[in-house]
Amino acid sequence: MTPDWKWWPDTGSWRLSTRIVLMSLVLLLVVQSAGLLVVRASIERNARGQIANELELGERVWRRLLDQNAEKLRQGAGLLAGDFGFRAAVNSDDLETIRSALDNQGARIGATVSALLDNQLVLRATNYTPDTPDLGTVLGQIAMPLSRSESGGTVALVGNTPYQFVMVPLRAPLVIGWVLMGFPIDQTLANDMLALSGLHLAMLTQVQGKPPLVGISTLAPTVLQALQAAGGNMAELQDDGDVLVARQVNLNAVAGSVQVVLLRSLSDVVTPFQQVQVLLLVISLVGVILFGLGSTWAARRVTTPLRSLVEGADRLGSGNYEQRMLYTERRDEIGDLANAFDRMRKSISISRNEIQQLAYWDRLTRLSNRVRFRGLVQEAISQRDSINSKVTPLSVITMNIDRFKHVNDILGYEVGDRLLVAVAERLIARMGEDMLVARLGGDEFAVLLPRANAAAAMAVAQAVGKSFESPLTYDEHTVDLSVSLGIASWPQHAADVDTLLGRAELAMYAAKRKTTGVQLYDPALDSSSKQTLSLLSELRHAVEHNELRLFLQPKISLATGQVVAAEALVRWQHPTRGLVPPDSFIPFSEQTGFVRQLTLWMFDEAARQSANLQLPGQALRIAINLSTRDLLDPDFPARLETLLSKHGVAPEAFCLEITESAIMDDPMRAENTLKRLSERGFKLSIDDFGTGYSSLAYLKRLPVDELKIDKSFVMAMEREIDDAKIVRSTIDLAHNMGLTVVAEGVENAAIWDLLREQGCDEAQGYYMSRPIPVSDFVLWRERWMHRAEA
Amino acid sequence: MRTPLLLSLLLGAALPAVAAKVQVQLQDGAGRPLSDAVVFLESREAQAAVKPLQGAEIAQVNKQFDPQVRVVTVGSSVSFPNHDTVRHQVYSFSPTKTFELKLYAGATANPVVFDKPGIAVLGCNIHDKMVAWVVVVDTPYFGRSGADGKFQLDNIPPGNYHLRIWHTNLPVGAPALDQPLALAATGSSVSVRVPGLTP
Repeated sequence: MTPDWKWWPDTGSWRLSTRIVLMSLVLLLVVQSAGLLVVRASIERNARGQIANELELGERVWRRLLDQNAEKLRQGAGLLAGDFGFRAAVNSDDLETIRSALDNQGARIGATVSALLDNQLVLRATNYTPDTPDLGTVLGQIAMPLSRSESGGTVALVGNTPYQFVMVPLRAPLVIGWVLMGFPIDQTLANDMLALSGLHLAMLTQVQGKPPLVGISTLAPTVLQALQAAGGNMAELQDDGDVLVARQVNLNAVAGSVQVVLLRSLSDVVTPFQQVQVLLLVISLVGVILFGLGSTWAARRVTTPLRSLVEGADRLGSGNYEQRMLYTERRDEIGDLANAFDRMRKSISISRNEIQQLAYWDRLTRLSNRVRFRGLVQEAISQRDSINSKVTPLSVITMNIDRFKHVNDILGYEVGDRLLVAVAERLIARMGEDMLVARLGGDEFAVLLPRANAAAAMAVAQAVGKSFESPLTYDEHTVDLSVSLGIASWPQHAADVDTLLGRAELAMYAAKRKTTGVQLYDPALDSSSKQTLSLLSELRHAVEHNELRLFLQPKISLATGQVVAAEALVRWQHPTRGLVPPDSFIPFSEQTGFVRQLTLWMFDEAARQSANLQLPGQALRIAINLSTRDLLDPDFPARLETLLSKHGVAPEAFCLEITESAIMDDPMRAENTLKRLSERGFKLSIDDFGTGYSSLAYLKRLPVDELKIDKSFVMAMEREIDDAKIVRSTIDLAHNMGLTVVAEGVENAAIWDLLREQGCDEAQGYYMSRPIPVSDFVLWRERWMHRAEA
Repeated sequence: MRTPLLLSLLLGAALPAVAAKVQVQLQDGAGRPLSDAVVFLESREAQAAVKPLQGAEIAQVNKQFDPQVRVVTVGSSVSFPNHDTVRHQVYSFSPTKTFELKLYAGATANPVVFDKPGIAVLGCNIHDKMVAWVVVVDTPYFGRSGADGKFQLDNIPPGNYHLRIWHTNLPVGAPALDQPLALAATGSSVSVRVPGLTP
C-alpha cells in the first residue's frame, strides 16, 4: 500500500539531466555538510586542546621566566661572591665595605635584597636599603634549602609580596659564607609573560590562616573580581560572553602559598577558525555552484545527444531515413549508440526499399504495380488540385491482352510470363518519357499520360493497338496477340484516381466486347453512372409497363422462298421519346446484366406469340439472341423451360443465336450451357460467324445446328471477290460439318442470287424485310407468299 | 667543640735513653681508620726545639697545588713554583698568614715565611677549584697518618705533650684537636676518634 504522502518528489517525470544534476548536488551537499559539521566540532575540540596546550606551555614559560630571573640573580650573586675584594672584605670582617658591596651589586642586577650569611647561615650583613622588614623571619626558612641546592631559587612570601631568592656560596677558596639575593615578582614579569605567551596571568597569595589576595595581574578589573570571588580555583571564567580557560600553577612558595592563574580567551582561539569556517562555507557554496554548472554541462553532454537520437528515432518512425544520426563521431557510449542508430537507420532504409520494391513494383516486368500506379496517379491529380490554376488534363490508358487465358492454358504459364514481359517491352517502346507504364495485374497494363487529354490519349492508344498488329516474337515462336485499350481522362471523366482507373478499365472491357480495340470512356458504358442508373430504372419500367415491342425479321429459305424463320429483335416504344433505337440500350443492358431480363422478356413474348404465327404446313422458327450473361447463368435452361411450359410451346420452335465472342468469354461454361439447351431440343446458331476468332475445331465440339455468316461478308460479296470466297467456303465448310447456313445482310437481288447459287440455306436482310412489329410481320408474310407464288 | 678522648696508656719500663715511641690509632666519627690526618705533639720543650724547615715548597701542577697539605714548622719559608703554563694567583685570607702571590707561568716568586702557628687555607684567585693547606706547627714532632689510620713517631723525649690532630675535612676555620699526652719513656700508644668530619 502506498502512503498518501511522500517526502520525496515524484522524480519519475524528471528529465535525465535534472536527475543527474540534482543527485550530484545532493550528494555534494551531504558531503560538504558533513565536512562542515566535523570541522565545527573539531574546531571546538581543537581550540580547547590548543588552549590546554598553550596553558601548559604557558606554565613552562612562566617557570622558565622565573628560572631566568633566578639565574640572573644567581649570576649577580656569584659575581659578587667571586670578587676578590669582596672576599678580602669578608675575611677582614670589614662590615662597611661588605654592605656597600652588597648595595652596589644588588642595584646592578636589580635585586631588592642582598645579604651576606656566614658559613653557618647566620646573617652577617644586608644591603643598606632592604625594604624587607621580615627578612629575618623568612631567612630561617629559605637559607638551609637554598644552601643545599646547587642551582635554582625559591619563592617566598615576604609580607604579602612574593619574592624570588637565590643564594650562592662565598669561597676563599673553601666556603666561608653565602651571598643571598632576592627581588619581588612584580607587574613587569606578568607583562613579560603576556607579551611572551599571550596568556593572561593573575597571582594569588595567601598567608596561612588569611584569605587569599590578588597580587599582580594582567586582567581587567571585572575579570579580576570574578577570579577573586572564585578564589582562584576554577577551570573556566566567564567574561562578557567570552570564556577564559584557566590553569593553576603552584609556585611552592615558602612562608605562605603563591598561586599563579594562567588564562586564555577561548574566543581569541576560535575566531580565526570561525573565519576559516566562513571561508569553508563560501568555498562550499562556490563548489556547489561550480559542481552544479559542471554536472549540468556533463549531463547535457549526455542528454543533448540522447535527445538528438530520440529525434532521429522519431524521424525513422515517421519514415525519414535520409538524415544521418548526429554524434556518430563521438568515441564514447553515446557515439556507440549513435552509430548503432545510424546502422539501424541504414538497414531499415534498405529493408524499406526492398519492401517498397516488393510492394510497389511488379517483379516479372519490373514495371510499377497497381498500388504504385494508383499512388502516382493520385499524386499527379493532387498536384493539379493544389495548383488549382488552369488545369492540365491527364489520361489513363488501361490495356488488356485479349484471350490471354488461352495463351496460358495452351502454351503454359512460363511462356505466358515471357509474353507478358514482351508485351511490357513493346508497350514501353511506344511511350514517351513522361508516361508511366504499369502492370496492374494478370494481363492488364496501364499507362499514365500526365499531359494528355482524351484525344491525345486516344492517339497514343491507337498507336499502341496498332503496334500489336505485328506478332510478338520470343525464342523461335511468334504469337499474334490483340489488345483492348480503355481510356479515361481527368478531370473530364472522373474526379478521383479510383474512379478514373475504374472508368478506364470499364472502357477497356467495352473495347474488348465490341472488339473495337480502343474505347474512350463514355458514361453510357458505366452501369454505375447516374445516367446509367436512370436508364436502368427506365428499362425496368419499360419491361413492367409493356413499353417493349417484339420485332421480327424474316429468314427465308433460298431454295423454296418460304419464310421458315424470323429473328426476334426488341424495340423500345418510349412514351415520350418515341421508338428508342436498340443501340441506345442493348449495349448498356449487356454491361449491366439487364440483358438477361431482356432475353427472358423476348423469349416470353416470342413464346406467347408463337402460336399465332404458325401457319398450317409451314412452321415458323423464332430465333432469339443470347448474350454472354445468359450463357454464364446455370439456371438459364431451366428458366426457358418454365416459359415454354407456361405457353405450351415446344423448344423446336426456337433457335438460339449466340455470337462467337459470347462463347469465347468463357468457353467451358458456354459449352456446358449450350449442351444442356441442345439436349432440351433448342436449335442453336452461331451468330456473326467470321468476325471472331473461334476455330472450327472448337465449334465442332459444340452442339450447333446453324451458322450465320456475318453481314459484313455478305454485303460486300458482290463487290469483293475475297468476301465472296469466304462466304462460299463458309457455306461449304458448314455443309460439310452438317450445319445449315444463314446469310445476313442480304440487301439486293444480286446477293440473293449469289447465295442461292452457292447453296446457302437461308437469307435474311433488308432486301426481303427490315425487322418489323409482329402484326406487320404477319401482313408482310402474306404479301411475300403471294409474290412468291406469283 | 671538644672531642671526647679515649686514652689508653701503655706503661712500659722507662728506658735510660731520652727517646720514646708514640703510636696513635686514628678513627673518624664512624670508627673507620682516618688517613691523611696531620698529627703533631706540642710542648714547651718541643717549642724550644723548633727550627725552620728548609726548602719547603707547594708547587702548582695541572692547576692543582702539590701537595695539597704541607706541614711546616714556624718560621719556615715555603716557595710556590708554578709548573703550569697558565698563571696562578695564590692567596690566603687566613689569619695565620695573609698573602697574595702573582705567579706567572713557570716563575717562582719569593718564598713566603710562615711565622705563626696555625692553618692557612690557600686558594688561587684565577682557579677557584685549587685549594691547599699549610699547617704551621710550633713543634718538631709532627707527621701524618697512613692509609690504615696509624701514626708513629720515634725518638721523642718522654714528657707531657698536647696531642694535636687536624684534618682537611674538619670544618673550615676549626682548630686542630687538642688532647694531653703523657709520653712515658717506654713510649705511648693511643687511639683517637675524630668526630665532626665533613664527608
